Amino acid sequence: MGLAKWFHESFPVDQEALIKITAEPIPNHLKRWWWALGGTPLYLFTVQIITGIMLIFYYVPEPARAYESVYYITHHASFGWLIRSIHRWSSNLMIAALLLHMLRVFFTATFRKPREMNWMFGVVLFLLTIIFGFTGYSLVYEQMSYWAMKVGTGIAGATPLIGGWIADFMRGGSEIGQNTLTRFYLFHVVLLPVLMMVTISLHIYLIRAHGVSELKFRGDEHSEKKTFPLFPDHVYTELIMVTILMITLVTLSLLFPVQLGEPANPNVTPLHIKPEWYFYPVFRWLKISNLTIGVLGPILFILILFFWPFIDRFLERKLPGKEPAFWIGIAGMLTLNGFLLWEIFGH
Amino acid sequence: MIRQKQNKQLKIYDMATSLNTKRIIIGILSLVFLVVLLIALWKEVQHAMPGYKPAPIVDAGTKHCISCHAEKGAGKVIVEQWKTSKHAEVGVGCLECHAANKTDVDAYLHEGALIATVVTPYDCRKCHEKETMEFVNSHHADAGMIMGSLDNVLAEVVEGDVNFNSGANPAAASGCWQCHGSRVQLLTDDQGNIRKYDNGIPKLDPKTWPNTGIGRINLDGSKGSCSACHNRHAFSVKQARQPENCGKCHMGPDHPQLEIYQESKHGVNFYAHKDLMNLGAQPWVVGLDYIAAPTCATCHISATPDMPVTHEVGSRISWTLRPKVSEKIDVQEMAKYKAQGKELPPGFLTWEMRRANMQNVCYQCHTKNYVAGFYTQYDNEVFLYNEKFGKPALKLMKLLLENQMITPAEFDEQIEWTYYYLWHHEGRRARMGASMMGPDYTQWHGNYEVADRFYMEFIPDLVEIIREARAHGRTQGAQTVESELNTLLNSDMHKWFLGKMDPEELKKRKEAAAKFRDRYSESK
Repeated sequence: MGLAKWFHESFPVDQEALIKITAEPIPNHLKRWWWALGGTPLYLFTVQIITGIMLIFYYVPEPARAYESVYYITHHASFGWLIRSIHRWSSNLMIAALLLHMLRVFFTATFRKPREMNWMFGVVLFLLTIIFGFTGYSLVYEQMSYWAMKVGTGIAGATPLIGGWIADFMRGGSEIGQNTLTRFYLFHVVLLPVLMMVTISLHIYLIRAHGVSELKFRGDEHSEKKTFPLFPDHVYTELIMVTILMITLVTLSLLFPVQLGEPANPNVTPLHIKPEWYFYPVFRWLKISNLTIGVLGPILFILILFFWPFIDRFLERKLPGKEPAFWIGIAGMLTLNGFLLWEIFGH
Repeated sequence: MIRQKQNKQLKIYDMATSLNTKRIIIGILSLVFLVVLLIALWKEVQHAMPGYKPAPIVDAGTKHCISCHAEKGAGKVIVEQWKTSKHAEVGVGCLECHAANKTDVDAYLHEGALIATVVTPYDCRKCHEKETMEFVNSHHADAGMIMGSLDNVLAEVVEGDVNFNSGANPAAASGCWQCHGSRVQLLTDDQGNIRKYDNGIPKLDPKTWPNTGIGRINLDGSKGSCSACHNRHAFSVKQARQPENCGKCHMGPDHPQLEIYQESKHGVNFYAHKDLMNLGAQPWVVGLDYIAAPTCATCHISATPDMPVTHEVGSRISWTLRPKVSEKIDVQEMAKYKAQGKELPPGFLTWEMRRANMQNVCYQCHTKNYVAGFYTQYDNEVFLYNEKFGKPALKLMKLLLENQMITPAEFDEQIEWTYYYLWHHEGRRARMGASMMGPDYTQWHGNYEVADRFYMEFIPDLVEIIREARAHGRTQGAQTVESELNTLLNSDMHKWFLGKMDPEELKKRKEAAAKFRDRYSESK
C-alpha cells in the first residue's frame, strides 16, 4: 500500500479525466469490426518501430557493409530472419491496410466538412508510409535496392524545375554512394518516424475532436443514435484485430521468410528491375509514358488525392445527386488494380 | 442563412446511393484489391523459389521458328534448352543470334528470314562487346592456328593421312580440331559454287563442321567459338564455371589440368562443397558469392572484389608451360615489338602484371607470404625442368639435326618420339602439376617420368645415334654431339649418373639411407 500511495503522490493522475478520455462514446457501426481498419496501420506501425529498433542493433549503414550486415541479420543473428521478415511483411500489410482504410473513408465520404484536414493528414500518412517502404527497401543494399535507388532518384530528378535539386538532395551528390545510404538511413530511422508520429497524433486528435463520423445503414436512418464506449468495448475489437494481425504476420514470415538477393553491384544492371508491389502502378505508368508525363502523373494523382474533399464538394455542386465521386472512386480503384495486374503479368 | 449554409453541407446520409450499397461496393473493391495482392504475393513467392525461371519472352520471329522446330526431333530439345536460358528471359531469341548479313557466304533465306547455321563471336558481340573483344584477343581465340605445329604433323601425317578419304582428316577433325577449332568451310562443286540441300541450305563441309573448338576460324572471318565454353542453347553460367567444362580440352597426358585440379586441395574442396559454390550467381565474386573453393574460372576468368571478370584467359598467367623450354609469357610478344622497333602498346600486359592479377585472386584466401612462398616453389620447379632437362635436351636435338644425324622429317626416328614424350607430356605434367598444386602430377607423373625418359631412353637413344653415325663415317657430327653429351653428363646436375657424385654428398646420402632402413626395418 505504501508503494501505491507513494506512486499516486509522485505521479498524480486525474482518474475522472482518464475515464472520460478512454470511455469516449463510439458510434454503433464501429461494432462491425471490419470498419476498424484505421487502427490496423497504427498497430502495424508499432510493430515496425519495435522490429526496426531490433534491426538497428546489427544494421551498418555503409555501402561496403550494409549488405553484409543484413546478411548477418538474416543468416546468423538469433531470430534475425524472423524479425526482418516480420518487419518486411508488416510494411506490406501496413500499406495494404492503409489503402483499405482510405477506400472506406473515400466511399463513405467521411472526409467531408469538417473533416477535410484530417483526410489531408491521412494522405500525408500514406505518403510517409510509401517513402518508408522505399527507403527501407534501399537500406538492404542488394542489387534491387541499389537499382531501385538509382531508378527512384532518377525519376525524382525528372520532376520539372526542382527535379535536379531533389535528386541531388536524395543522393547527397550526383551518384549513389555513402551519402545516399546515410541519408536514406536518416530518413528511415529518424525523420520519417518523427514526422509519422506527429502526423498520427494530429490525425487521432482530430478524430477525437470531431468525433467519429456516424454512419447509418438502411433501416437505421430514423433510429436513435447508439454508441458504445471506446474502452473497453472498442479496445477489445482492436485487440482481436491485433491478435489476428500478429498471427498473420508470423505465419507469413514463417511460410515466406524474406529473401536476400545479390549484393549491390553498380556495374551490373539486373535483367529485371521490379520495385515493391505498391509501386507497380507507378512503374507501369512510367513504362507506358515518357519520363516527364511519367513523373507528373503520380504528382497530379497525389495532389488530387490531397485536395479531394474540396474537389468532391465542387463536383457535388456541379452534378448534384449524380455522385460523380462515387463513380470516380470505382474507376480509380479498377484502374489501380488493372495497373497492378498489368505489371505483375507484363514484361 | 445559417440553416441554408448547413443545408449546403453534404452529409453522408444525403447521398443517393444507400450506405448498404456502398458497403457492398467497398467490400467488392476491397476483395478485388486483396485478390490482386494475393496474386502479387503468389508471384513474389514464385520468384523467390529456388530454381525459378521467369517465363521466356518469345518475340514474333522466335515464335515462328518454334512453331516448326519445337514440334519435332532435336529442335524440340534445343527450344526447351533455350527456354531455360537467360537469353529467353530477356527476349533474345533465335533470330537475334542466327540472323545473317547478305554478305555472309553461309547465309540462306529460311521462312522469310536470312539466317546462318553457325553462330560466331561476331554475332555474340552484338550484345556482349566487352566479353567478345577480350576473348578474340586471347590465346584461346588463336587456338585454331595450329597448322605447322608438331601436333598438327602428328594428326595429319603420322596418325592420319591428308589424302585419306578425300582429305577427311579424321584424326584432326574428330580430335585436335574439336578443341583447337576447325577452319569452317562450305562444300563446293567443281565450278566453285556452294553446294546446297534441296531446301536451299548451304552444305557445311563435314570435315570442318560440327565444331565448337575454341579457336574455330569462321566463315565470316572471326576467330573462336563462344559455345566452346558456353554450351548452346541453355548458355548456363553454372555449366561454364564447372571445372569439367574446361576439362573437355584441358585434360589427358599432355596437359592434365583437370586431373591436377582434382588432385589439388582446390579441387578436393570444390567437390566436397559443390553445393555451397553458388555457381549460378551473377556476378560470381570469390569471397562474396562463394568461399568454399576456387574453380578454373575463379582463378583465370572470374571476378574478385577488386578485379573484374575477364575473358582474356591469359591475363593472369605469368609462365607459358606449353613449349619445350618454359619462358615468361610476354617474351615472344616483347621480342616482336622490339624487332619492329615499336613501343609496347597501351594495355600491354607484362608477365609481372599478369602474375599480380593472379595473386589478386590468391589473396582472397591466402596471405601474401603464403602466396609468395608458393610462387617461389613454382618458379623453382620450372627453372629445374628448364635447366636440367628442357634446355639440354633441346640443344642436343638441334645438334643432331644440324649435323644431319637425324632426318628433317618429324617422328620418323625413335629419339623424336622419346623427346616428344619428354617435353610435351612428362615435362608439361611436372610444370603444370607445380603450377596448380598437384604434388603427384609434379612428382610421379612429372619429374620422375621426365628423369626416367631422359636417362633411360633419351641418352641411350643419343648414344646409339652417335654410335651409328661413327659406324657410317659421320665422325665430325658424332664428335660434336658426344662432346656436348659428355659436357652435360659431367655437369653438377648430371654427374651422379656417371657415378661421380661429390664424395661428401655421397657420404651424407649413405648415412641417410641407413637411417631410413633402420626406421622402416628394411633389409639392405
